[in-house]
Amino acid sequence: MTRAELDAALARLGLAVPEGERDQIVAAAHLIEDMVARLRPVGGRDVAAEPAHVVRFPEG
Amino acid sequence: MVPDYLTIAEAARLIEKRELSPVELVDSRLERIVRLDGRLHSFIRVLADAARHEARATEAEIAAGKYRGPLHGIPIGLKDIYETAGVATTGHSKVMQDHVPQKDAFSVRRLREAGAIVVGKLATHEFALGGPSFDLPWPPARNPWDLSRFTGGSSSGTGAAVAAGLVLGGTGSDTGGSIRGPAAYCGLAGIKPTYGLISRMGILPLAFSLDHAGPLAWTAEDNAIMLQAMAGHDPADPASADHAIPDYRAALQRDANGLRIGLVRHFYERDNEANAATRDAIANAARTLEGLGCSVREATLSPLADWVACGVVIMLCEAYAIHEENLRRRFTDYGEMFRDRMALAGLITGADYVQALRRRRELIDELDRAMESLDLLLTAAAPTEAPPIDAVGKFSTFERPLLTMPFNVTGSPAMSVCCGYTDGGLPLSFQIVGKRFDEATVLRLAHAYEQATPWRDRRPTLQ
Repeated sequence: MTRAELDAALARLGLAVPEGERDQIVAAAHLIEDMVARLRPVGGRDVAAEPAHVVRFPEG
Repeated sequence: MVPDYLTIAEAARLIEKRELSPVELVDSRLERIVRLDGRLHSFIRVLADAARHEARATEAEIAAGKYRGPLHGIPIGLKDIYETAGVATTGHSKVMQDHVPQKDAFSVRRLREAGAIVVGKLATHEFALGGPSFDLPWPPARNPWDLSRFTGGSSSGTGAAVAAGLVLGGTGSDTGGSIRGPAAYCGLAGIKPTYGLISRMGILPLAFSLDHAGPLAWTAEDNAIMLQAMAGHDPADPASADHAIPDYRAALQRDANGLRIGLVRHFYERDNEANAATRDAIANAARTLEGLGCSVREATLSPLADWVACGVVIMLCEAYAIHEENLRRRFTDYGEMFRDRMALAGLITGADYVQALRRRRELIDELDRAMESLDLLLTAAAPTEAPPIDAVGKFSTFERPLLTMPFNVTGSPAMSVCCGYTDGGLPLSFQIVGKRFDEATVLRLAHAYEQATPWRDRRPTLQ
């Protein structure tokens, strides 16, 4: 992630992150990007693979 | 003269026999808080007058023959995300420093009904996530074994206060390891029970689907006593399980003979490499358990980083949603560590969150399959002893995968147990993991291990 990309994302989120903290966030962004990449298996998932949370309505 | 250190079980035996007055016990803890907490910073708020008042009422009740059980007259502390009627509950944050709830949290009410006396509200990492922080209205708690060391978090004040004998037990919460981490670094026993066993109602949330409430105390037996009071169905919590609650303390009477344990060695030898002291301590613990009649064999799971990626993405997204409005309106009222972690959270997409939930289902199935022929898993709770408090970076929790997070993802009961000390006298730990709603077996193994080893005999030296 570049600094310009972060600035654009923070503007979209409406977060007033102090100037002095932005480069640190850019430097750490890869930690989250690496985690996000791990969530997707090579070749993708079966389209019907359900998430852990499904809504269960009360019976009756 | 009340001893500096007592377990809940020891104090309860004395109180029941009327050999220890709840008033003397509470006074002795308040005196200790005054003497020591200026350096430990484990309390945000001490409720001295209320605690003394309750202690006197307790003493009268017991004198009238109305002894309620092993928490009656026991001084405890509450992590300051547990709401307390008429007493500020801040999340250790400027954002909520004036928040005074009208009701006790469900679990607080249960503890009070069991006779526990709340001595005060304890430090936490800001909203149970960002810490240790030095830019909040209250300083971070310090580790009683070495004041220059980290307590672990986020139940930092509970870890410090219990280890220092300022209270006999306390409450924590655990979204990625916030009970087990402080238990590990402060030399305590701390159990994160099954998701839904203890109501979350009245506890400030960090991440709805990962948040677990639970106790920290000196021994497994004390955890059993506190868990007994805290567990139970609460219709007001949509995640609360309507599940029969066994007698946890009775389960401790059975020995560990015959328990089948899977040792998840790759978590702490490859995926998040523990130091030699921790590896040696766990190897010794496994041999001790074999000596108690357990079978211990290697178990292999997906890489730790997979479990942690799933848990962290869910945690950050849910936390961001909770704090979104305040982050927009008053970003710098949060501490730097919390707010910058939340800024990272804002970069995660909705699709990422759903992929994490789909991964969560796969991982839950994987753990269930791995435990089909096992009763328990054993692994590390932390890769090292407590590090220096000033060595914990803003994003450190994302840099090395948390050994505790997998069992928040699966909702399994998991407990940190002390298994020795470094040459420098800092506690070491391991983690026991059970099948969902089988806290009794987790506690049973922890208790058997504590009885077979000398680690519960040593306490921090505080002048």
